[in-house]
Amino acid sequence: MGESHSGDERAAAELREALVLAGSAGVIGSPASHDRLLELIVETAAEVIGASAALLFVVDRQRGELIYEVSVGPQGETIERRRVPLDRGLAGLVAASGQPMIVSDASEADLASDVARALGHAPRSILVVPLSYGNQITGVLELLDRVDGTAFGQVHLALLGRFASQAAIAIEQSRAHRDMRALIHQLLVVDHSQASRAGAATVLERAHVFVDRMGADVDAREALELAGLVREIAWRGEAEFVAVRAILTGFAEYLRSRPGDDGDASPGGIL
Amino acid sequence: MAVSPDWAWGSGTGRDVRVAVIDSGVDPAHPAINGRVSAYCAVTMNGATPVFDLSPHSDVYGHGTACAGIVLSLAPEAEIVSVRVLGQDLKGTGAAFAAGVRWSIDQGIEVANLSLGTTKREFYALFHELADAAWFADITLVTAANNLPTPSFPSMFPSVISVASHGGQDPMCFYVNPRPPVDFGARGVDVRVPWKGGGWATMTGNSFAAPHITGLVARIRGKHPDLTPLQVKALLQGLAANARMSEERERD
Repeated sequence: MGESHSGDERAAAELREALVLAGSAGVIGSPASHDRLLELIVETAAEVIGASAALLFVVDRQRGELIYEVSVGPQGETIERRRVPLDRGLAGLVAASGQPMIVSDASEADLASDVARALGHAPRSILVVPLSYGNQITGVLELLDRVDGTAFGQVHLALLGRFASQAAIAIEQSRAHRDMRALIHQLLVVDHSQASRAGAATVLERAHVFVDRMGADVDAREALELAGLVREIAWRGEAEFVAVRAILTGFAEYLRSRPGDDGDASPGGIL
Repeated sequence: MAVSPDWAWGSGTGRDVRVAVIDSGVDPAHPAINGRVSAYCAVTMNGATPVFDLSPHSDVYGHGTACAGIVLSLAPEAEIVSVRVLGQDLKGTGAAFAAGVRWSIDQGIEVANLSLGTTKREFYALFHELADAAWFADITLVTAANNLPTPSFPSMFPSVISVASHGGQDPMCFYVNPRPPVDFGARGVDVRVPWKGGGWATMTGNSFAAPHITGLVARIRGKHPDLTPLQVKALLQGLAANARMSEERERD
């Protein structure tokens, strides 16, 4: 092809590796954007529980704050992103204690968060659950006042708890995906300044081709989906991690040990 | 001699029993607490080293006051020891929590209420050791169960009493839970609790069920100071509402 394509090849190889790593954290091409995912999560939570408003906070460990990310309200108001301290308030309490709880009557104590107030709400009842990922609290989901006027109950706590753990996984994967895209973008920018314009364009083109190919390649997508499933299970805890590894190892060993089996994926398998 | 609720806790008030509320602090000025905090310990982390401040402190979130209020509603003469482990940043929470439990054990505080837990894997061994240490020092740890998918420490260990909430309104009513690791169900729905700043709130959660058992344990220890955690747990199991109901059925 010409001189010094080795630099391009190397950069492309590194990018490919980075994208594969990103892919193993989830399925490439899922949620359109991180912000939209957060909105989806909060909307779904509010709908499932029948709440009139819902807020999502994400923990910022470094600064000891909760970042209010998104909310849905009865009038569909939007509030700008803001930070609230971790060391006070109901959301901070649930993030710190890890205990989900319901306030059935908030009228006799000052329990409404600043954000809830900004929503134009002096909530009567509040349901708060922690979001945890990888054994750490990564956020808090807060729901306010059921639309039909009834109180939040334990059944809602249980329901939201299950939903919250799925949501936390989705948020983290999406965030990793978004961070990885930003990282790759940075890599490309760096490469652009070091290599020639033509070289950088080739790398960029290859990256695009690679991402498109991943999207169209069913096998690769399925492999990534499997990797994502394994990771999700493994993140649940040590016992789950040991179990999934044992299951896969056992199955693979069984397949290897079958007489006359040279690994061809023929139909009419064991299951 | 038949073991009965009357024998176990009867008209006990928890007098002379210290109860550590390991939480966000306790507000002694609240009418529900009425000054019944006999000692304070605020735990903060200086890197990996815990720092214990024994001067009076406030309740950062309101949660500790709520739990202490529930304990005192069942055992009005218990002595609350406020061990504040929440309120610093999240990075130190697990370590401060462990240090607070260790401090309470070292002080020989007979009963402790832990309406919180940590899910961080790296604390598994430490809390296991602490739960065992409490067990062997005849200290009864009562914890709130965490009914989210991630296991929480120390509530999942058998050496502590772990409590979830049932839907009933009788504060003295509790059930044995048939499936581990939760031991008992106590009142935890729509509980009117004192909150910091002199207010009140009506709350639901396992956080508020645990202190009901803690209060009962304080009454038991007040009447029978020498009971071990094993004996306390066995007593509670035998006297739970569903245990007694099945006993009565057998008799008839």
